[in-house]
Amino acid sequence: MVPFSETLVRLWQLVVRGDFVRQFADSSELFLTGFVLALIVGAPLGLLLARVRALRIGIEPYLMTLYATPMVALIPFILSIMGFGFAPKVLVVFLFTVFPVLYNTVEGARSIKPELLEVAKSYRSSEWALWREVMLPYTLPYMMTGVRQAIGRALVGMIAAEFFLSSTGLGQLIMGASQDFDTAGVFASILVIGLLGVGLTRLGLMIEQHFAKWRQ
Amino acid sequence: MAEQALSAPVPATRPKVAASRRSATFLPRLLTGLAILLTWEIVVRALAPAYVAKPSTVLLAIPHVIVDRAFLQPLGATLWAVTEGLAITIVAGTLIGLWMGRSDAFDRMIRVYVNFFNAMPMIVVLPLFSLWFGYSSGTRIATIIFAAIFAITMNVADGARSVPREYLEVARSFRASKMSVLTGIVLPASMPYLLAGFRLAAGRALIGAVVAEFFISQGGIGYYILYNSRSYHHNEAFVGVLLLAGFGVGFELLVNWATRRFMPWYRRDEKTN
Repeated sequence: MVPFSETLVRLWQLVVRGDFVRQFADSSELFLTGFVLALIVGAPLGLLLARVRALRIGIEPYLMTLYATPMVALIPFILSIMGFGFAPKVLVVFLFTVFPVLYNTVEGARSIKPELLEVAKSYRSSEWALWREVMLPYTLPYMMTGVRQAIGRALVGMIAAEFFLSSTGLGQLIMGASQDFDTAGVFASILVIGLLGVGLTRLGLMIEQHFAKWRQ
Repeated sequence: MAEQALSAPVPATRPKVAASRRSATFLPRLLTGLAILLTWEIVVRALAPAYVAKPSTVLLAIPHVIVDRAFLQPLGATLWAVTEGLAITIVAGTLIGLWMGRSDAFDRMIRVYVNFFNAMPMIVVLPLFSLWFGYSSGTRIATIIFAAIFAITMNVADGARSVPREYLEVARSFRASKMSVLTGIVLPASMPYLLAGFRLAAGRALIGAVVAEFFISQGGIGYYILYNSRSYHHNEAFVGVLLLAGFGVGFELLVNWATRRFMPWYRRDEKTN
């Protein structure tokens, strides 16, 4: 154990030395790449699954299984197949992130009232307009619940990837400190990641609540 | 609160319709499952090296893995650790949660810290725990508890807070003791929240156990997966992953069942994370 004052001093050193900024940038790159990819894949796929009933019925149970599977267990496979580098780490973050988005989007799109779709159809709405005017606005709040859940998971995925695949970013900061028995450094990094977690969770909640106004 | 989301109205289906629908969904599900497995098999055969797990070889590996002592022993160790950790978590987490829910002063004191730890990706504490507890099963238990407890605490606190005021007033009018208010009203009213928290906590505990085993090479199912995939026994390792997926789904089903069985008045709330 180390006193808190020492932790703060260490944190200050890390910030001044520039380690911290560099590692933070590395981690952010990983986080954002994985997260954005998961959104790009998860959201449209979720809507598609909701729209095409046969597809949804077929895939839903597998989706739920993957949603409940602890994705960390796949990291050793990813390591031995894809090796070290940026791509396998992005894949880890992606896998952690995509299922909450997908799952919640499907749930949301599935709960669209059939009347809404029927009215749109009666007015000869095109398929594209149906997606844009009915499905997307209706599903958005649910999707954002998925985004909120995904933010927390993506953070875990990011750290796990940085621990167990090639060591970079904030994960490396912790690992390095712990290997040097630099407890103050470990504490300083944990403090930063904790604050990052709180900030991102807040952000997620804000996003969710912003869109939840829509939902009755 | 933090983990609470609005839930969608579910249209009530008549049992008869539901039954016929169940048989109608079975075939497409089976076909999709087969299609997924087939695609996987073909892609791996065509593109990946021979050691990469594919459905046919995993299937062949299952019979000899599930009777292998080298598999069963770690499995038992992990399950025992998760059970032990969850038991401690439920008791301690519920107590803290109830206290938070019923005492505003205590809530104000610690809520911000509970929030902090709840939002923190729990695996960052691993290097620290491995320094403190060494490369032993102590680290695993500590990680499991740390990963799971805040989910329970937060949910129970929300539950204890949401007890209808009238119930408490009636209890007070009849001069119920503090203890019987707690065990007779607050605890039962928080049960659905406790279950929702448990669902979250169980998933996190499982992840915590696996990650801790990766990290400190402690004998368990996580280490079994790591060890076998490092030595290119992907098929054997994948059986472990299947089992973990099974546990994940199993916890989910268990909680859904318990909610329906013991709290039929409570509609399942989305409280996953």
